[in-house]
Amino acid sequence: MNPRKILVAVDASANALRAIDYVGEVVAGRPGFKVRLLCIEQLPHRDLFENEESWVQACRNGRAEFEDFLEQGRERLLAMGMNEEEVEKNYVAFCHSPFNDQTSRCSMGTSVALEILETVKSGGFGTVVVGRRGLSKAEEFLFGSVSNKIVHSARDCTVWVVS
Amino acid sequence: MEQDFRDFVLEHMPHIERRRIGGLYTDTTDFTSIGYGDVIRLADRHYMVLRDEAERRFGIEDFKFWVKRCRCLETKEPAILKLVFHEEFTQQIGSMRIRSFRSATKEARILDLVRDDPRFMHGFSARDEAGNLVRVLEVIRGKRFDEVVDALPGDHAFYFHNNLRPVLNTFIDACEAIGFLHQHGEQHGDVRRDHLWMETSTGRGRWLDFDYAYETRANPFGLDLYGLGNSLLFLVGKRIYTPHVFEGMEGSEALQPGDFSPVIRNRLVNLRRLFPYIPKPLNNVLLHFSEGAETFYDSVDEMLFELRPCLDLLPNPQEPKEGAP
Repeated sequence: MNPRKILVAVDASANALRAIDYVGEVVAGRPGFKVRLLCIEQLPHRDLFENEESWVQACRNGRAEFEDFLEQGRERLLAMGMNEEEVEKNYVAFCHSPFNDQTSRCSMGTSVALEILETVKSGGFGTVVVGRRGLSKAEEFLFGSVSNKIVHSARDCTVWVVS
Repeated sequence: MEQDFRDFVLEHMPHIERRRIGGLYTDTTDFTSIGYGDVIRLADRHYMVLRDEAERRFGIEDFKFWVKRCRCLETKEPAILKLVFHEEFTQQIGSMRIRSFRSATKEARILDLVRDDPRFMHGFSARDEAGNLVRVLEVIRGKRFDEVVDALPGDHAFYFHNNLRPVLNTFIDACEAIGFLHQHGEQHGDVRRDHLWMETSTGRGRWLDFDYAYETRANPFGLDLYGLGNSLLFLVGKRIYTPHVFEGMEGSEALQPGDFSPVIRNRLVNLRRLFPYIPKPLNNVLLHFSEGAETFYDSVDEMLFELRPCLDLLPNPQEPKEGAP
């Protein structure tokens, strides 16, 4: 595992932005670091919507928001002094999205944290970075805490939790 | 025309009194006006309505006016018709509020998905003339699994030594069924112990009622897992997990806040405090649903990975006891 190979797991939240900024502060301008911004797509539940069209539109909006965020994150790191070749984006689409994506990998949506850790392992990342939402125990129980799950399940890598 | 319709009903159901035959409905939008004696026509079949279905919760009959117990006139088979009832509400679970909704489309989709899967209720969906997506469900002949367990004889120790292993075996099968839904991107939506029925003819557990959906995007199956945890707690504890039940029992004086559910604060999860013969690995699975847990299960697979080996740690009532003749 290479600790200078850093995976930053993001959604489109302010916590994720803080995590990107932190990574930029620490590694920008220092040689040998590679940063991948990873977004595991989470789309709204289709049954929330009156019909298929409105769900598809909401998914389209959601995907655009995530992709914009990834690009903003990349530009942010570049602006902080990282080089183009040091920063990459990785968008993992939801397997059950309405878009019939032809990708080699998709997210089942059962556990964002475990899918992040799978990427850490398969990509040989030595450091994984996540933002923290600051949930209560009950909220964590029902709504899930990606950061907590990663802290407790990560093996052979360092975890940075940015709050 | 009305005369013809009544003759048609009498032809298929000769024992019914003519005056009891109500109206013929091809549009089920106003489901509250459909009652005993009315006939719903759907997909070339006619369903005589016998009554509204009800769920018994907390000792009270809760009538579901959109769910009709029927008999198909053509096949003579019983059927349950679930009519479209749009409902969006907020579930209060402990101190948490979760946006939830009832979706006919979701249930219809799952019925298609589990068409040949014996772990679920079966049925099909069809639209009435007004476009309402009606679900036609088969009637499961059996009993609620929790009631079957509740009725088992003896105290907890007797239950543990004689029944828990087969009970847990059935529950694991039921968990795998929920995991199957999740793998297909579907939530059950209302995992409760009274939604798991034990079919009399096969002895298998079958899940019912898939029309609830809820919004917990970061942890889309969290509420289903919560329901499985509650069910497991019921099965392992045989209903002994609330203060009014365990008060005064040996071990209850040593309980800590971390032994309880983070969601329902008076629900004891660390059952080994009361029943020290519960194997630690099984208790550890329960502890994943406790306030003291460092991390919770994200998926059914994760839970089953730790739950399955527990079966072998439980007394097997089939095996002769050591020293027995």
